[in-house]
Amino acid sequence: MSLKDVLKDIEGYQEIGEEIAVLKKYGTDHSSQRGQVRKIIDLLHPGKLKLHVSEIIRETGSTKTFRMVSPDGYLPPFQAGQYINLVVETGGIVTSRDYSISSAPSQTAFYDITVRQIGEGFVSDYLLNDVKVGDEFQSSSPAGNFYYNPLIHGNDLVFLAGGSGITPFMSMIRETLSRGLDRRIHLIYGSLTPDDVIFGQELENLSRNHPNFNRTLVISNPPEGYTGRRGFITADLMKETLGEDISGKTYFICGPEAMYTFCEKELYRLGISRKKIRTEMYGPPKDVSEQPGWPASVGRDAIVTVSIKNGKSVQVRTTEPLMNSLERNGIVIPSLCRSGECSLCRTKLLKGRVFQPEGVRLRASDRKFGYIHPCMAYPLSDLEIQLSNAEFSGSQD
Amino acid sequence: MAEYDVVVIGAGNGGLTGALTLAKAGRKVLLLERHNVPGGCATSFVRGRFEFEVALHQLSGMGSDERPGPLRSVLGELGVLDKLEFVEMENLYRVVWPDTLDIILHAERAAIIETLQQRFPKEKEAIPGFFELVYGFSMEMIQGVFFRDPAISKEKYPLFFKYALTPTQKILDGFFEDPLLKALLGIYWSYLGVPPSRMPFGDFAIMFFAYIEFKPYHLKGGSQSLSNALLDEFLMNGGEARFNCGAQKIDISNGRVKGVTTEHGDTVLTRYVLSNASILETYLNLMDPEEAPHNALEAYRSSTIGPSAFTIYMGFDCEPGDLGIQETTNFITTTTDMDKTFSLWKTLEQQDVALFTCYDVADPEFSPKGASQAAFVSLQYAEPWYLVPPHQYYDTKYRYADGMLKLAERVFPGIRDHIEEMEVATPMTHLRYLGHPGGAIYGFDQFAKDSAYFMTSTSPVQGLYFAGAWAGSGGFQPTLTSGRSSARAILKSMAKG
Repeated sequence: MSLKDVLKDIEGYQEIGEEIAVLKKYGTDHSSQRGQVRKIIDLLHPGKLKLHVSEIIRETGSTKTFRMVSPDGYLPPFQAGQYINLVVETGGIVTSRDYSISSAPSQTAFYDITVRQIGEGFVSDYLLNDVKVGDEFQSSSPAGNFYYNPLIHGNDLVFLAGGSGITPFMSMIRETLSRGLDRRIHLIYGSLTPDDVIFGQELENLSRNHPNFNRTLVISNPPEGYTGRRGFITADLMKETLGEDISGKTYFICGPEAMYTFCEKELYRLGISRKKIRTEMYGPPKDVSEQPGWPASVGRDAIVTVSIKNGKSVQVRTTEPLMNSLERNGIVIPSLCRSGECSLCRTKLLKGRVFQPEGVRLRASDRKFGYIHPCMAYPLSDLEIQLSNAEFSGSQD
Repeated sequence: MAEYDVVVIGAGNGGLTGALTLAKAGRKVLLLERHNVPGGCATSFVRGRFEFEVALHQLSGMGSDERPGPLRSVLGELGVLDKLEFVEMENLYRVVWPDTLDIILHAERAAIIETLQQRFPKEKEAIPGFFELVYGFSMEMIQGVFFRDPAISKEKYPLFFKYALTPTQKILDGFFEDPLLKALLGIYWSYLGVPPSRMPFGDFAIMFFAYIEFKPYHLKGGSQSLSNALLDEFLMNGGEARFNCGAQKIDISNGRVKGVTTEHGDTVLTRYVLSNASILETYLNLMDPEEAPHNALEAYRSSTIGPSAFTIYMGFDCEPGDLGIQETTNFITTTTDMDKTFSLWKTLEQQDVALFTCYDVADPEFSPKGASQAAFVSLQYAEPWYLVPPHQYYDTKYRYADGMLKLAERVFPGIRDHIEEMEVATPMTHLRYLGHPGGAIYGFDQFAKDSAYFMTSTSPVQGLYFAGAWAGSGGFQPTLTSGRSSARAILKSMAKG
């Protein structure tokens, strides 16, 4: 007798068999759920979004807001402060950049992204100069971890913004004020000149109309005769403008690279604890060779060879993130945060050494087994890497 | 066109051990995973200075070097033991009901009996008898079923034949009066997702027995280190893996697997597929409807989609002791009515039983120095979340998490003020990352009727095999084991030609 037959002697077996017989007749028809899982996921987190530019709004001399709509009319929800990863093709290169959504999540008809011209901004140049109403883009769905958590961040918030770092805060401010949420916000916004202040008029109006919203503008390079605040976002400035209970507030920082280290230091000077400080991730540093830990022996713009297992070899610069160098050579690997945080680009390093700046968020076991995040990994020597979407080897034998 | 002996779909526990078993046997294997990391549930994510463990709470079946349990043997055969570090937990768990009950069970039979007899003197006589039954039953099940005794019979294994399918609650009711005692003894039911009134005693007894005898284990580096170790060994054995690349379709002709087309649109040839995707996804969405075996699908009419989970991951800016956390595994409850608790899993109402796991108690190096982390989890079905309008999803998630956190604060007051990083995962989160119907973490509901005594995961499609929770039962040990078993079945079929 087989095991299956013997098991029929277990007490209760018969009754359960009868229950199953009934359920076979009247139970769940799973085939009615064909395609459902994908549909449910797509309501919250579609893999890719198709976006059309419906309007372009000039904000300042160097800044435009691109209003993006979905051709099928549906945009997934997001948390104020999150970004989308916008895929762009320019100069024959496919690459992508992250842009915080500046519109409020309660605005379900469109996402605004606000883009400022930066020095050698390869992508921002293209967006500001070449993109027209009606142009189509592909993007990720909203992502990122720079947002307000009502369970732990309290309702007394300070936003420290620098330059175009105002964009995620704009979404948070608009959401809080338009929904009448019980949160007090004090924005301290640093800009180079008064003309560089983005959303200046709207911020002024909002602060006039909402007692729970204050703003302080500070200009680092003011023109002659400027009467407003000058300088940087210092501890003294915060002490002066934020009033009581400085250590009870939660601080959010978003701005250019240099601002993070500066503002964090100022906050620590004020005795603010680490858990009260939230910082947005920022992309590759302007000059990676100035980062702590960069080996002096490696030349700033030395050229090394990256070989892809079962693929081609390319020449790259040591001071450019591996991901960007690969894109320049027509090799596009999946990307999302481009800040070393999300691990979408996780790639196995087979040979050679890379530099990954402090703050690149690798899992401990990924580090142990030789994985890198190419969006924030700089080659220090000739490398061999294994791409997860390399050619199949199956045909070779 | 590229050709493989086997294509494994999904790098969850079952997919990884399956792929590795096949690669070690010299087969040419392609492993497809749509996410960017291996592991499925057995994974981690990074927020700030914390790496959060997603799913593993207490690894079962490990045993020690001297007295290895079944899982240690499996991992040993797969060649990954020396890539991993395990920490034995001294205690099974703490059950705490504020102002009512607070008890810690040491992972040792005599000690548990003593603890329980002290706390429940009226039940003093009955307590050893209950453990005799748990042990007696388990020994019979191991001997008769696991070791496949050809002479198995009702007469030879009376406890097994009498109690294997009896509801656990009935057994507890037979031994004990005090509902608190019954609740705390049966609390592992949440590891199976079936309340004691519907959980077969066989499932409960063998789990309880195994945790006591082989001890619960913590894995240094969390479950991601296991997934990475399995993948590494797979690659070293010549396996090929693709990430960010799921399977789109299994090509079938004349009832036999012919190949697999990936999400990226390329097709490879193979005669065998080991699917670590759910059985339902495999049949419904990875095959042409006319190729999907109607009868096999019909066989699952009697099964329902199992629970998912709602979890708050918390990174603290201090050590566990500073928050009064002394135990790794803390079941927090405010009820003894587990049927009501189970029914709450199908609602968005506040849960009244949840598990608070603090990994740093067992492994002080788990989080950065001076910091610690905990996962607070309740199982929950996905259905109530389907009804939340997308644009209310985040508000709903935080509101619900707030209620959960208040429950944790009743036992660990002040923890909220020490949370430096937090992430909340709902059943929709699991649905997104696992791609399983209902975001189910243990596959189908595991009532008696869904057990291996009645169901088979064998497919009528030639060359198609399954691994993972949907093809058996959920949890780390069963899914890790299932991949190896299915791989062996494939090797056997190949040997036959």
